[in-house]
Amino acid sequence: MDVIRKFFRAVGENIASIGTTFAQGDAKTRLSYLIFGIGPLMRGQIVKGLAFLSCEALFIWYMVSFGWTYLSKFSTLGTVETHKEHRVTVYGDNSFLILLFGLLTIVLIFLVILVWRMNIEENRYEESLLKAGKKLPANKSVLGSLLDGNFDKTLLALPVLGIFLFTVLPIMFMICVAFTNYDKNHQSPTNLFTWVGLDNFKQLFTFGSSGFGTTFLKVLAWTMVWAFFATFLDYFLGMAVAILINKKGIKFKKLWRTILVITIAVPQFVSLLYVYKMFANDGLVNGYLMKWGWISSPIPFWTDPMLARITIIVVNIWIGIPYMMLIATGLLMNIPEELYESARIDGATPFQMFRSITLPYMLFVTGPFLLTQFTGNLNNFNVIYLLTKGQPQSMKMAENAGQTDLLVTWLYKMTVTNTDYKMAAVIGIMVFLVVAVTSLIVYNMLPSVRDEGGFQ
Amino acid sequence: MKKKLAVVLMAGALAAAMGMSAYADEIKVWVADNVVGFTEEQIEAFKEANPDFAGYDYLVEPVGEGDAAGNMITDVEAGADIFVFAQDQIARLVSAGALEEVAPDNEEAVKTENDAGAVAAATVGDILYAYPLTSDNGYFLYYDKSVISDPSTLEGILAACEEAGKNFYMEINSGWYQTAFFFGTGAELTYETDDDGNFTACNTSYASDAGLLALREIVELKASPSFQNGSAVGEATNCAAIVDGTWDSGAAQDLFGDNYACAKLPTFEGSDGKQYQMSGFGGFKLLGVKPQEDEDKLMACDALAAWLSSGDVQLARFDAVGWGPSNLEAQKSDAIQADAALSALAEQLQYTIPQGQYPGEYWTLATSLGDSVISGELTVDSSDDELMDALTKFQDTCISYAE
Amino acid sequence: MEKQQTGSMKRNKMIGNAFAYAALILISIIWLFPFFGLIMQSFRSYDPKVEYGGMVDYIIPKHFSLDNYRFLFSGETNYLRWYGNTLIIAFCVAILQTIIILCVSYALSRMRFKGRTLLMRFWLVLGMFPGFLTLICLYFLLKQFGLTQAGAIPGLILVSVASSGMGYYVCKGYFDTIPAALDEAAMIDGASRAKIFLILTVPLSKPIIIYTALVAFMAPWCDFVMASYIAFGYDKSYNVAVGMQRWVWTNDYQGYFTRFCAGGILVAVPVTILFMFLQKYYVEGVTGGAVKG
Repeated sequence: MDVIRKFFRAVGENIASIGTTFAQGDAKTRLSYLIFGIGPLMRGQIVKGLAFLSCEALFIWYMVSFGWTYLSKFSTLGTVETHKEHRVTVYGDNSFLILLFGLLTIVLIFLVILVWRMNIEENRYEESLLKAGKKLPANKSVLGSLLDGNFDKTLLALPVLGIFLFTVLPIMFMICVAFTNYDKNHQSPTNLFTWVGLDNFKQLFTFGSSGFGTTFLKVLAWTMVWAFFATFLDYFLGMAVAILINKKGIKFKKLWRTILVITIAVPQFVSLLYVYKMFANDGLVNGYLMKWGWISSPIPFWTDPMLARITIIVVNIWIGIPYMMLIATGLLMNIPEELYESARIDGATPFQMFRSITLPYMLFVTGPFLLTQFTGNLNNFNVIYLLTKGQPQSMKMAENAGQTDLLVTWLYKMTVTNTDYKMAAVIGIMVFLVVAVTSLIVYNMLPSVRDEGGFQ
Repeated sequence: MKKKLAVVLMAGALAAAMGMSAYADEIKVWVADNVVGFTEEQIEAFKEANPDFAGYDYLVEPVGEGDAAGNMITDVEAGADIFVFAQDQIARLVSAGALEEVAPDNEEAVKTENDAGAVAAATVGDILYAYPLTSDNGYFLYYDKSVISDPSTLEGILAACEEAGKNFYMEINSGWYQTAFFFGTGAELTYETDDDGNFTACNTSYASDAGLLALREIVELKASPSFQNGSAVGEATNCAAIVDGTWDSGAAQDLFGDNYACAKLPTFEGSDGKQYQMSGFGGFKLLGVKPQEDEDKLMACDALAAWLSSGDVQLARFDAVGWGPSNLEAQKSDAIQADAALSALAEQLQYTIPQGQYPGEYWTLATSLGDSVISGELTVDSSDDELMDALTKFQDTCISYAE
Repeated sequence: MEKQQTGSMKRNKMIGNAFAYAALILISIIWLFPFFGLIMQSFRSYDPKVEYGGMVDYIIPKHFSLDNYRFLFSGETNYLRWYGNTLIIAFCVAILQTIIILCVSYALSRMRFKGRTLLMRFWLVLGMFPGFLTLICLYFLLKQFGLTQAGAIPGLILVSVASSGMGYYVCKGYFDTIPAALDEAAMIDGASRAKIFLILTVPLSKPIIIYTALVAFMAPWCDFVMASYIAFGYDKSYNVAVGMQRWVWTNDYQGYFTRFCAGGILVAVPVTILFMFLQKYYVEGVTGGAVKG
């Protein structure tokens, strides 16, 4: 509530400031309301003035030559259908590009308003400096500040632009797609797609044979179970292996570590594929077990749903332990030796020492890391996709979902295999919500967060 | 227009990269990797015979039939101008606007020179959309003579495999191989489409006694310790028999060596005590042309597609890589009549149903049905009601695709 | 009495160590077995005259042969090209991504500006969206610049680098540990922020720079989702993962499994060598990242 009140107060103050600056400002300032940066230019602030002016010029050029065509069709996403003239195809409106560049144009309009506001603020600031009888900063020092006081702007300009273009804009686009009927029957450039409101979300929460509801809940449940086991089994087993290697009297510590670490270096698309083949019904493991007469028919490591889930988790231990071992090794060395000494004098067993010294320390220090591991595992695409591709499928699940599919692999299948972009977008938003909510809950449960609060 | 945006956004930093977009005078061809060389040779011959079209740059890329349709649909613009695809993708391609109708000049020739099933496969609604390339997309049995003496019944094959401790491979979680059982017992599943590739009606009787017999047989096959799910010779271990197609004949010869043998699919004894012949799909590989914005280029593409699918080239392709032709003249040649794999396929084709149009979702749905068996949701112990539930759901979902 | 106790303690310790060694050897076998299998398969010929090249139920080939490696270097496929592409991508991404991350981390760690926490929170939230959601959008965005298919390699580099600023956590954590007093002293001497960054902070950050570059270098070797989506239909633009996964995942390539294994072994070579030499830095980065998360 407080945030909202603050926000509205800030907006109100801004609008008031725009008005008073205009009322009290001189002609140069007033002219700047129309032509960006003309005030600073006339006051000799060439660098700033040109920067504002070029923003406006670029924007007008962009809108005239490019942006307006897309923005004007944004509300319908295009109406001109693709048609044939003789045997030649004449493409109509491209809904995809209209949506994408329409969004881009809207964002740019907001940005230009922001620049306009900055331009007004600059005028006000310059006027107040001049009125107070001070000198305006030299152009050279304005430029120089980009390497000193304003160095952050120089450093962040490219990264922020990159993230905007290749992360923010695509995410905004996909959120919009969730409200359209963009799927295999409405594919650009041959077919148009358009806005459909909340229809897709309704389908997600429709339970019964035609809806996604039951399948979604099943996939979600397995995703959570997977993330839990994948995170905590790896964590504790990795710690155990690290303790084992660190044990006094064990030689060749470096060798053991290197053996484990090598597995990180081999690309997963090679190693996991081999592991998959090893455990297949007709793979090496079953082959040898049968040859030795231990089993009479192959163990369905990948085809039985329950067993497939267990196998995936076990294989993930194989992947995860080396990382965790490295982390734990580094951290274990940081625990003050005196703590163990005094515990030993008190006659504590190794297990007691682990429980009351090692574990609390590790949990405290690695809390935030565990959280990122957990959310990372919620979206762990490679392990699932390279092993089972989400299979086995089942007649009890909708839209190709398999028994070992995570939300993210399901989303991938919808995008690439089924080209059902609208539902993929809906699932994507759901994944975001799941990750955000779990992060929030777990974050507040973290010992490091709670203790910090306790000390304050 | 697009370029202007690029300049605004990238401030010219990447201007060099922009020159790389495809030119109008380039014709891209997608074929499977093992026929890339063959196709390039044929294009050279085509250019010599048609100097009018020699001005284009022809670019052959190895994109297999499996990937071609998916890639075309993702982005028609960046897709190939001419591409080979398996016929089950045709309706999807038509509705995504990735297939141009066969040129009126070529239509008559395609219809008369190729076998009727192939022409039907290339037709959506009443319009001919593609050039048939092969008639060999069917399956039959490869087996090891030293293990299996009589490949005429499924029970006999499984018994021989079990005795020898060897595996029998069939991909029961594929909508393509599954139909061997369902169509064998007389269950039906066909779709009707309109001219734009939209599905308008579904004729199915899977949820019937016939369907139940078939599913029960699949479940029983799965229960055999010798059964393995799969249909690629190269992936099979310890294999004595495999249901597979002609494209694997080379690999099968490598695998079985002197004991290599082929046969039509076996019969099986249903739970009602009657014998049923395994059926299945007879399928086709097709050559498609993408809709074009340029009349001359379209003519060149049409001419090249007609050339690559002509009888002589089909025969030459058989010699090079063993693909069985759809051209009637080519089918009569001695070399093809003498080929063991193609003979077995020809024999099997009497029992199969020419594969019509199926929606893309059918294939993944069929995988779900097969996986339900493989994963043990449906077993030999399942009651008729449980099996029927699965079939009813399957049938309802199939029908829903045509709404 | 005392002597006896130390004796039994020694014995206990020895038994304990024996168990520990047994466990470690067992762990080593489990962890190395798949690689042993991969290497063995890569030496099995695919030529039926020598040995059957499909899937088999034994590990050690009957005849060792270099056929698979010969095939990879023969130019029958674009393998070498794919390998080269991946190397180029990996190098460019490693360099550019490290630069971007250093810039972002420095700005966020050392500078205080309006909207700093807001920016960090916003990026955190962005990171919660699943990565593949935007696949199709990125494809068409890159296509506008001509950076797909034939231009897929610069395209892939651009995509990997563009959003890398969000991965600043570990590096910023490291910068936070460099005493601010150093900066202040330099500033009193009249050095600008840019100068401090280049002359003071960067040289002090060698471990984290190596870690960042190493992680960035490793990622492209395993990237097949993005790479196949952007480069489809243009064989010469594939990276190794995209080119090779077709050998085992599509029906067009029968009996390519041993060649896949050989290709995989070659892919593992550069990263493994780098890892051997730079392990120390990797451990430092991973550990630091876990603590500061």
